[in-house]
Amino acid sequence: MRPLVAVCWKAVELRAGVDPLTGEIRPDPRSLGVSPADEAALEWALRAAEGTGAAVRVVSAGGPEADGVLRQAAAAGAAELVRVAIEPGSPSCEVARALAPHVAGAGLVWCGDVSLDRGSGAVPAFLAAELGVAQALGLLEVDLGAGAGGFSGLRRLDGGRRERLRVEGPAVASCEGGTARLRRASLHLMLEARRAPVRIEAAPPPRRPAPHVVGRAPFRPRARVVPPPPGEHAADRVRALIGAEAPAGRARVVTLGPEEAAEAILEALAAWGELP
Amino acid sequence: MAERFDAVVVGAGPAGSMAALQLARAGRSVCLLERGPFPGSKNLYGGVVYARVLDGILPRWAEEAPLERFVTRRVTMVLTATQSLAVDFRSSAWGEAPYNGATALRPEFDAWLAAQAEAEGAVLVCSTTATGLLVDASGAVVGVRTDRPGGEIGAGVVVACDGVNALLAKEAGLAEAPDPSHYTLGVKQVLRLPEAEIERRFGLAPGEGADFEILGGTGEVPGGGFLYTNRDTLSVGVVLSLDGLSRSAVRPEEVLAGLTAHPAIAPLVDGGEVVEFGAHLIPEAGLEMMPRLAGDGILVAGDAAGMCLAAGIWLEGVNFAMASGSAAGEAAAEALVAGDTTRRGLAGYEARLSSGFVLADHRRLRHAPGLVLSERVQRRYPEMVCNLVEELFTVRNPAPKPGVVQMARRAARRSGVGLGDLLRDGWRAWRTFG
Ligand SMILES: Cc1cc2nc3c(=O)[nH]c(=O)nc-3n(C[C@H](O)[C@H](O)[C@H](O)COP(=O)(O)OP(=O)(O)OC[C@H]3O[C@@H](n4cnc5c(N)ncnc54)[C@H](O)[C@@H]3O)c2cc1C
Repeated sequence: MRPLVAVCWKAVELRAGVDPLTGEIRPDPRSLGVSPADEAALEWALRAAEGTGAAVRVVSAGGPEADGVLRQAAAAGAAELVRVAIEPGSPSCEVARALAPHVAGAGLVWCGDVSLDRGSGAVPAFLAAELGVAQALGLLEVDLGAGAGGFSGLRRLDGGRRERLRVEGPAVASCEGGTARLRRASLHLMLEARRAPVRIEAAPPPRRPAPHVVGRAPFRPRARVVPPPPGEHAADRVRALIGAEAPAGRARVVTLGPEEAAEAILEALAAWGELP
Repeated sequence: MAERFDAVVVGAGPAGSMAALQLARAGRSVCLLERGPFPGSKNLYGGVVYARVLDGILPRWAEEAPLERFVTRRVTMVLTATQSLAVDFRSSAWGEAPYNGATALRPEFDAWLAAQAEAEGAVLVCSTTATGLLVDASGAVVGVRTDRPGGEIGAGVVVACDGVNALLAKEAGLAEAPDPSHYTLGVKQVLRLPEAEIERRFGLAPGEGADFEILGGTGEVPGGGFLYTNRDTLSVGVVLSLDGLSRSAVRPEEVLAGLTAHPAIAPLVDGGEVVEFGAHLIPEAGLEMMPRLAGDGILVAGDAAGMCLAAGIWLEGVNFAMASGSAAGEAAAEALVAGDTTRRGLAGYEARLSSGFVLADHRRLRHAPGLVLSERVQRRYPEMVCNLVEELFTVRNPAPKPGVVQMARRAARRSGVGLGDLLRDGWRAWRTFG
């Protein structure tokens, strides 16, 4: 049987208006698509499949509106499309349970690290648990190397730490959008994909009692304690903090590549005493 | 060449969707290419669609198209920096079938129109740009190249509906190099206001809309403006002479800010939340800029063919685009049946346009763009008329009222308009609109 690489996609509205006064969200169904992270996941799956001759299956848990989005995956080269019909707003553990039977057996299951609609990023972890396989979540770098069925990667840990991994399948991997750019579909595949069949599967009944998310807050990096700036009075300290008394002409305009620019910023911050 | 269709239509604006619809309805395989992620996503206009041209093609347009409001109030306004003069016309007949104009938002309207073409069998391919024409050894157009891998599409006929830049018509040698004086720049913002507030401010019943066409109000740049009511937004914008804009060194958004701050406009737009801002060129020179409409294997329609009618009191482009696209689709289908897609075989296109309103209106109003875009019509006459009306209604007691002719003379002098100018332009206006 042909080996399988699986990808989990979530169809989300990429644009939405927000009323500045009421916070009411005005959806824009025409912008339905997937996040750059989900796109990167498909790209890694396609590259991995090219090396091994595997078929790429893309699975999405959602309503019928996801079918058009799944066909975009077919245009990029996915061989099989599956949609698991699930209640909108189902918790991550239920989404993972719905996806699991349709990605089981895949050497690697690729996911985006978080969906754009304020996702918690928990589905890949639940999925690995459902499948009982290894997980490599929050990948910042991926190197498929020459090895069949595995990869090396750098992943994000809490508190700004990093971890370098070597992963052999079966495993669930989630990657950030910057790791790869989804290839541009050929015209031929675009036209073919319009008719690509989407297999519709039913979701299993929810497990009871299901964990219940009561509230959710946006991600906030942990606060870091920094020594207060010098100054006897609060006003002096505020002035020091906002750099109002810094010598004029401290700013420099430089034109550099991203890496050199980052170095230059760090150097300048260190020189100005802003770094610990 | 991997892909082949009977026809390829480039651009899913009003012209392209209508061309694709007619080709598909005639049983032809047709690919409708759109560079944006969905039809209408790249398109910007003022806001009023005159859709009667759809009566015979999509008879249920008034119920099915995503329209915002039926225009029942039309205000023609003349503005100077501190004055305004308006002719305010209302017709409740326009709010009933067969309707006149309706405000619509292009992302919705264009997507709907393209969906009608798809429903007839056209294959819509979005996020795909036609980057050039495929030409055979004899020079005939035989398809298009796109920006996708393996992106060549062979076709018996290419219908170029790619809008004002008309890159395909130029590549086919049908259009001349562009002359900046033939174009204006439209700059527009969409402001959100509650539906009931719009109805209150503009004196409208639910579902009714207002259309304000403004001459002047654009400071030192010759041009005009518009203000349309959508369901819960307003579209307000300026249309500026490109030459005037580049000479003035004023930024277009400053001109628009000037219009929305004008005492006659500010209360109408006050408190609106900006939800959209954009700019787009308008081909305004009509017949003078029209390319050859057909070549071997290619037809040009809509703004790509300079078919927008910009004649001062009228700015109609969508209806001209829909009608020309429809005619192009019918003529292309006919040529495909006859097996002759040479320029001669496609001649039915121009014949259709000539027998309908598209070329008839352009021919009749051929001198309008020159007149309407002239400095006097854009700047001096609005000032003169406003000055005259101000004189007329200013009570200068204890001084007695001067005679009207004397007031008119004084107003003309203050605006730098001579009797000769008035007679000349009056004669031109008579020839153009009479
Ligand atoms: C500010 C402003 C106000 C206006 N107000 C009005 C008004 O109130 N009423 C009215 O009737 N008209 C108005 N018009 C004119 C009207 O918008 C145009 O005449 C009309 O949109 C022309 O339709 P079209 O289909 O020819 O071109 P467009 O609407 O420009 O559509 C062209 C389409 O082609 C696509 N395209 C372009 N190049 C390519 C390519 N290479 N490959 C694939 N796709 C491509 C574009 O994305 C676009 O979808 C206004 C115009 C402006 C700018």
